Amino acid sequence: MVAVKDTVDQVAGLEKYEHGFVTEIEQEFAPKGLNRDTVAFISAKKEEPEWMLAWRLEAFERWSAMESPDWARVSFPPIDYQDATYYAAPKTKVGPASLDEVDPELLRTYEKLGIPLREQEVLAGVAGAPRYAVDAVFDSVSVVTTFKKELAEAGVIFCSMSEAVREHPDLVRKYLGSVVPVSDNYFACLNSAVFSDGSFVYVPPGVRCPMELSTYFRINAAGSGQFERTLIIADKGAYVSYLEGCTAPMRDENQLHAAVVELVALEDAEIKYSTVQNWYPGDPETGKGGIYNFVTKRADCRGDRSRVSWTQVETGSAITWKYPSCILRGRESVGEFYSIAITNGRQQADTGTKMIHLGEGTRSRIISKGISAGRSSNTYRGLVSAHPKARGARNFTQCDSLLIGKSCSAHTVPYIEARNGACTFEHEATTTRLSEDQLFYAQQRGLPEEEAVQLLVNGFVRDVLQELPMEFAVEAQKLVAISLEGSVG
Amino acid sequence: MSLDEAIRLRDPSRLPSRRDEDWRWTDLRGLLRTVPEPSQRLEPGELGVGPFDGLEGEAILVANGAGPEDLRIVADESRTVILRNVSRGDGAHASRLRIEVAAGGRLTLLESHEGGGAGLSLLGIDLSLGEGASCERLVLSDLDPESVAVVELDVRLSARTRFAQTLMTTGARRQRLETRVRHPGQGAEVRLDGAYVLRDRRHADLTTSVRHEGPDGRTEQLTRGIVDDQARAVFQGRITVQEGADGADARMAHNALILSDRAEVDARPELEIYADDVACAHGATVGALDEDVLFYMRQRGLPEAEARSLLAASFLGEVLDRVEAPVPVEYLRAWLAARLDAGI
Repeated sequence: MVAVKDTVDQVAGLEKYEHGFVTEIEQEFAPKGLNRDTVAFISAKKEEPEWMLAWRLEAFERWSAMESPDWARVSFPPIDYQDATYYAAPKTKVGPASLDEVDPELLRTYEKLGIPLREQEVLAGVAGAPRYAVDAVFDSVSVVTTFKKELAEAGVIFCSMSEAVREHPDLVRKYLGSVVPVSDNYFACLNSAVFSDGSFVYVPPGVRCPMELSTYFRINAAGSGQFERTLIIADKGAYVSYLEGCTAPMRDENQLHAAVVELVALEDAEIKYSTVQNWYPGDPETGKGGIYNFVTKRADCRGDRSRVSWTQVETGSAITWKYPSCILRGRESVGEFYSIAITNGRQQADTGTKMIHLGEGTRSRIISKGISAGRSSNTYRGLVSAHPKARGARNFTQCDSLLIGKSCSAHTVPYIEARNGACTFEHEATTTRLSEDQLFYAQQRGLPEEEAVQLLVNGFVRDVLQELPMEFAVEAQKLVAISLEGSVG
Repeated sequence: MSLDEAIRLRDPSRLPSRRDEDWRWTDLRGLLRTVPEPSQRLEPGELGVGPFDGLEGEAILVANGAGPEDLRIVADESRTVILRNVSRGDGAHASRLRIEVAAGGRLTLLESHEGGGAGLSLLGIDLSLGEGASCERLVLSDLDPESVAVVELDVRLSARTRFAQTLMTTGARRQRLETRVRHPGQGAEVRLDGAYVLRDRRHADLTTSVRHEGPDGRTEQLTRGIVDDQARAVFQGRITVQEGADGADARMAHNALILSDRAEVDARPELEIYADDVACAHGATVGALDEDVLFYMRQRGLPEAEARSLLAASFLGEVLDRVEAPVPVEYLRAWLAARLDAGI
């Protein structure tokens, strides 16, 4: 019971949203509003080559002609895209050579968030402890990327997207937009026009990335959004595990986070992508403020026997609208999706995945656990499809929803499309509330109600937590507890 | 209702299309460029025999959309009604029938959909059950391969009512059998089953929507089907539990066998839950006949074709086992077997 005790202590010691502080720092902004000049401004700030600007402007033209989609089970007032700034950066020079050049206020921010930006900090402690490299993105720019040298020795490129556009244009041109086309959807198109930093990863053939890679996204500035773009390429036989985390200050305004993540896995390559999403969820009572998390994430399993695994723990955001997907093109390629989505207060989530089986013998697995509490709404929406050529395709889907309280809702909307005679799809879904018998049993054994609920919830989501890298599984478990705080009684 | 308007106004732009989320797999606008002219009158003498002829019951006929508009079962009465919905020719027609079963009444509705020609038809049925009433609906649908047909049933239940239905269909060029139930809970029970056997280029769409509006309602659903050649099956099932409809117990299953590489099965089982004290579940599977089982049966001396049709028949048989209507289950088995035997 030590672990449980630890969790309870952690929860008791925390405020409701511990990352809700603002960093007072001098920042420069793009002029308010969105037009061709804004796009050009961002491109110029990032010292981009001409082809990149042309790409952005084309995206902007297409976006201008598109309409905001309304099919998701989420509701929000129309977004005024002219009433926001699309670029916000700390006033230091781009890409400081060393940490000493980084604004100390920024360093303190990351210290407070528990993100190790000094390599020796990661190394300090027990020998052989797992290390991970961090790309820290603050509003629109990457502040620092750690362990670049050591990764480079292994041949791994890990840098910010802006840097990749300048330093590795061939790779970027080849892969950018090849998984999520510019005009794929409204928010992806907006992102293509105004994207700022995100991470770029390239793992060369046969290389197993020597450490976990991670990106930490922080929204700080008011009146702005974050539009990062991440591109990960695992060449033949390569392996990489990548984790993203995100937080934002508590504000009464809604801020838009419209990211695009593209993964490319070539022959025999494997990418493991984990997300712990903890954007500010808004005020639990009034529903005021919070992040709109409208994200497009897609993986292309291009090579035979390639493998992509998405694991997500979604606890934050006022509205979550995302479907990390896999296009299973290569023969016998594998896609996996493990998700925990927790909504409390007045949060809304419409999330799930798409597994598109194109190649022969492709397999996929979906495990989704949704928990709704408070007055929130939580929807699983997914698609599993097998095309005529995807003979031998297999899918297993399990979607479970747990309801805590009378005023929340849980929905399951799976689409299944089977187009050949040799595929096997299995889908099951359940919706229940916390079992009173189990609660009673746990309380009878001496656990207070709050603790009993945590124990049961942790059991409910265990299948997914197990898929997270170890050090993040612990953090995620705590997050699950914090997100549900106040939902009992 | 857009299909009704499309037929009455002969306006193809009002036909449901893939842009309507609930019709994405049964696109009528993309299929029909024009709405056919109104159907000719059909003389009852021209119709031949229906599948339920010979069973005891009172006959009602809807011929090219013409037929009675109201049917009333009074309190404590028990009736069997044989409803034939027959279409001929290549015209379009729409009709609506209201059925009211008063408190404590019992209705067995034996319904058949026949013919269809190359036309477009819509039959809407409004069924309401008074307190303690019950209705069992059994549908056999065997339409012409070029017909486009939609049957919509809207059911309103009261406390302690029971509504059960079993749909059996071989599809059409496009066919939709839609059932919408408003479930008041309070001891009311609903069973919605279906079985389909689709061949050639036929299509069938079995869509159900059950809305639990009050506490302690039960819903059970089992749909099974087989698709072959270039046929396409669509199953859409939505169970909604409204706020306050606590104690709802709802289970839905859809299992399909695909026997050909050019056949298609599309399914969307949905749960929409706004109450917390519920037990809701759905399961959906799509797959081929189990090769191991086939191998076992052949090893025992059964020819492959026989083994296949035996497996198919037993797969669908579970749906028939749940039928409660006073129709000999052998009769239904024979009906299905005749449609399976054409070479599974």
